[in-house]
Amino acid sequence: MSNTSIDAGELVPEVEVSHGLWVTLRAVLRQPSAIVGLVIVGLFVISAVFAPLLEPYSTTNASCGVFDAPSAAHWFGCDDGGIDVLSLVIIGGRVSMLVGLFATVIAMVLGAGVGLLSGYFGGATDTILMRITDYFLVIPQIVLMIVIAAVWGPSLSHVVIVIGILMWTGTARVIRAQVKSLRERVYIKRVESLGASHTRIIVRHILPQVGPLLVANAVLAITVAIFTETALAFLGLSDPTAITWGTIMEHAFDRAAISAGAWWAVVPAGMAVALFTVGCYLIGRSIEDSLNPRLKVSYLSPRSWAMRPLVGRGPDAL
Amino acid sequence: MRKSGYLWKRSVFALVTIYVAITLNFVLFRVLPGSAISRISKVPNASPALKHALEVQFGLDKSTWQQYVLYLQQLLHGNMGISYQNMQPVTDNLKSALLATLPMVTIGTVLALVIGIAVGVLSAVRRGTVTDHATTNVAVLFYAFPTQFLGMMMLIFAASFLPSAGMTDPFAIYASWTDEAGDVIRHMILPVLTLVLTLFAENTLIVRSAMLETLGEDYVLTARAKGVPRRKIVRSYALRNAMLPTITLVALSLGGIVTGAILIEVIFSWPGIGRALYQAVLARDYPMLQGGFLIITVVVVVFNFIADLLYFRFDPRITT
Amino acid sequence: MSPEDGRVPVFEIQDLHVWFDTGSTRRHVSEVHIVKGISLSVAPGERLGLVGESGCGKTTTILASLGLLPPSASVSGRILLEGKDILAEGEKTVGPHRWNDIAMVFQGAMNAFNPVKTVGWQIAEALRVHHTVEPRQRRARVAELLELVGISGENADRFPHEFSGGMKQRAVIAMALACNPKVLLADEPTTALDVVVQNQILALLTKLSEELDLALILVTHDLAVVAQTCERAAVMLEGRIVEQGPMTELYRHPQHSYTRQLFESTPDVFAAPVAAHEIAPVATPLLEVADLVVSYGGRRSWLAARRNRPSNDTLAVDGISLRVQPSEMLALVGQSGCGKTSTVQAILGMVPTSGGSIKVAGTEVTGLRRAQWRPLRRRVQMIYQDPYESLDIRFRVRQTLEEPLRIHGIGKSAKERTRIISEALERVDMTPPERYLGRYPHELSGGQRQRVAIAASLVLDPTLLLADEPVSMLDVSVRSGVLDLLDNLRRDLGMGILMITHDLSTAANYADRIAVMNQGHIVEQGPAWDVVNAPTHDYTKTLLAAVPSPDPEVRRVG
Repeated sequence: MSNTSIDAGELVPEVEVSHGLWVTLRAVLRQPSAIVGLVIVGLFVISAVFAPLLEPYSTTNASCGVFDAPSAAHWFGCDDGGIDVLSLVIIGGRVSMLVGLFATVIAMVLGAGVGLLSGYFGGATDTILMRITDYFLVIPQIVLMIVIAAVWGPSLSHVVIVIGILMWTGTARVIRAQVKSLRERVYIKRVESLGASHTRIIVRHILPQVGPLLVANAVLAITVAIFTETALAFLGLSDPTAITWGTIMEHAFDRAAISAGAWWAVVPAGMAVALFTVGCYLIGRSIEDSLNPRLKVSYLSPRSWAMRPLVGRGPDAL
Repeated sequence: MRKSGYLWKRSVFALVTIYVAITLNFVLFRVLPGSAISRISKVPNASPALKHALEVQFGLDKSTWQQYVLYLQQLLHGNMGISYQNMQPVTDNLKSALLATLPMVTIGTVLALVIGIAVGVLSAVRRGTVTDHATTNVAVLFYAFPTQFLGMMMLIFAASFLPSAGMTDPFAIYASWTDEAGDVIRHMILPVLTLVLTLFAENTLIVRSAMLETLGEDYVLTARAKGVPRRKIVRSYALRNAMLPTITLVALSLGGIVTGAILIEVIFSWPGIGRALYQAVLARDYPMLQGGFLIITVVVVVFNFIADLLYFRFDPRITT
Repeated sequence: MSPEDGRVPVFEIQDLHVWFDTGSTRRHVSEVHIVKGISLSVAPGERLGLVGESGCGKTTTILASLGLLPPSASVSGRILLEGKDILAEGEKTVGPHRWNDIAMVFQGAMNAFNPVKTVGWQIAEALRVHHTVEPRQRRARVAELLELVGISGENADRFPHEFSGGMKQRAVIAMALACNPKVLLADEPTTALDVVVQNQILALLTKLSEELDLALILVTHDLAVVAQTCERAAVMLEGRIVEQGPMTELYRHPQHSYTRQLFESTPDVFAAPVAAHEIAPVATPLLEVADLVVSYGGRRSWLAARRNRPSNDTLAVDGISLRVQPSEMLALVGQSGCGKTSTVQAILGMVPTSGGSIKVAGTEVTGLRRAQWRPLRRRVQMIYQDPYESLDIRFRVRQTLEEPLRIHGIGKSAKERTRIISEALERVDMTPPERYLGRYPHELSGGQRQRVAIAASLVLDPTLLLADEPVSMLDVSVRSGVLDLLDNLRRDLGMGILMITHDLSTAANYADRIAVMNQGHIVEQGPAWDVVNAPTHDYTKTLLAAVPSPDPEVRRVG
């Protein structure tokens, strides 16, 4: 799948000025899809936090036979080493989500920083930063990641750093577009003509406005990071000793779970990634939708307006 | 005059990007401490003669700057070194791999685009209806599945009735070239299907949101007042304008296509460039890795440039 | 309700109601009643004005007449076209009449054209869809239509973005006329246009309606536009028509208080008072601009900056001189793009100047650095055009007014700041201040927002106010209130005010002096009354000729 989040750069529709985090949050929570997303992500986070308590079996010692099918004792069956798959997925989620989180933090700091500087100051700063961003956007990142990971050697922290420093471009473009449009807003100009400093304008007026957008972006970026980690793991570039959703799938593929017909060695981890991604996607999307009022109008609705019987005195009375 | 300015700018951008990639390639492999080529003497199974030849060829006895110039010269002559794995020139290896990859990825991408546009338009036009919810949810679900997971599902559930490894049946004896082509096509079904499932969802979501934007534009209302039939409004107004952001976004997702293609080639043992890259990683075959990185970058940049041309063709407003 | 002289109406709206569903749930229905029983009629060749402020339901009425409302709308009433109810069976009955019989010119013609198709293609499309003419004659017909609205037929192959605003509006009208409609509904057709272009478009609409026997309904917020174009008008307030009749009757004897209020708030350039008051020149004026030059975009490329000479065609402001005395209001009048905004931006130090000098209370401010400017900012304050945009909507009124104090370190204690803020709110007639301190901008009306923006300037106790179109985004009925407030500020507090406006009528009625700006130059400057009544420059005369008067007897259009 993609290593650029789906809303890059100038294509982002100009987002309505938000009333700040609280109002946005309320608007987001009015959407059922946001609730579904929050519940999904919430459950994953809880399972990650309490993973050691929740895992039914050890992830280091065998608790059943090689590729045992799912049973009442082992809901998701066992892998090639006789290790309980459910325990693996719970523990693996912990690491995967952390990888996603850290990579996202790096990407957000870089992306928001570049986007803010570029959008706020414009001019030569903007040109140079955006040119750099453009190159990062065009060069196929997965290949660059493969090369870097291959040269540096496989390790989880390398994966985090590589994903982080290659994933910021989308965020930078989104934030830049938004800051650029905010910069033209009259109230920013008014505050500037009052004599406010750049720092004050950015901190008090611009950051709070791009905050919700940044959150939406971060939520989507986490899924992209987790995705990329699974892809890198699959290509043997992640830490082979770490348990992540990616290495679980890679391990199963490597140990011929497929030819053994042991789908349960693959499906739970894959479904975990998918579910978590759906959850994050729903949240991120809800935030973006609540920020973009233009999407609420459609002049080509499949339904038509309704006709009601005459209510007034009728034409004769006039 | 100003229109040609746009093309000129984009061409320069494409060329500079390729140059940056070439330089990056050099820096990553040679300049960074502990980088690959400095470990050239550790080439597995290399004869002393080859070792010496490689050292001279890569100019390890010279300064970094001289090495860089040498590297550019070699590249200009199409020389990307010798693969450690099969002792063949990297260029030859990549050429055959690229020929295997391009048809599979092109077919998959085009199908994913066509399906994505069709489903995206349908869901935007029927917004808020059951059709919209169903298609959007399916799209989000497929967007969420990791490519390798989908591929493995294919292997588990379809391998019994469709070939699932390689490009041809290694033991087949073909009566004619049509037989051979048929075999290749049968082998292509699963990889292409996986790629389509991976990509269509994102395209659907992109097209849908671009369409929703344009459906709220004043010109759509004007067209309705004019009495233009719905079908025509969707085509000439909404979709026609939604194509612009779609082109850009799809171009940006080229990187995603590359990711998908690599994973799919590994899973289905498709002898393409992605698999070559994967094997180069496993074998620490740096010349292949370098060459693979370069060739994929060039292909992506070229397709990006094609997207620029398309955008130019589609948007009469482009001036700079 | 029918036309005066007993002509048979071609188009009638009878007892039209429109409701919008605002998110009904299963348990309860929540809807708003936007249009509450409207009845209108127009005869062939007649022009009817539908006047009202934003949100009164005028656009909804027009959209309902063509069955173009969104699905959240419910409609009741009749739309009669030549006596036949076209709304009777919804889409099925209204569809065939669109463009064939009833055409429409939408608000915001700028976006009415599909940007990726040529203008000619889009006009021809109407002909294709409705089979109005033989395929072979389409090109000729498109050219003919364009010529009819005063555009050369060769322009058919050009794209919308290659047209100027006025041309686009003409082309939209040409498109509306493609299928020889009987009725034309024009929704704010001139709102975004400059007054000279507006005048031309109104003249065109009048001419077309007369020549083609077209029934025209002109929807607008501007009484003067209606007075100059229409024979009859209907005044709309909150979904109802409060008064309807011949334009001269409305002007001479308005019955409803709202109609009177509207007329009072529509300044008439020719009814301006003679010489507001004399201002004795002082040694150091509050603002003195001499030979100011500003190049386009403000920032020049470093190359141009190095050569230090902007080429002539990139000058937004080309050598202007101005002077504002204490308690004087100077109006800088011009069309969009004339350089008036660049002038103010330069005075505020927001764009770099390329030449000349700007003195604020005797201090040269060109070339000052950001930090050097800061103390001066207390003296010069700016009022922006759009009060919906000029306030940070996350800030309560108190925070908005407190921000300038914090920036300049005024008011040691919270108590003292509150006192300053309350005083400023009282100054702008928002009393009692406590009622407003805790409010967010969206809880205020447009006029109140503009007052808050003005108060946010007043807390700094400035001596010079720069007002950029301070009322052009406000509803007509609250404009005079804000203008009177500015007038009081200069009279009571002795502030100097430089007001930028495109509207000569406002300038003539409020300013002491007027400077007319065109293409970066000030072409004429003098006492307001003189400029309006005895213009010397041709450009001023052109502008004056285009200004619509709310008095229907003073016909200038045409």
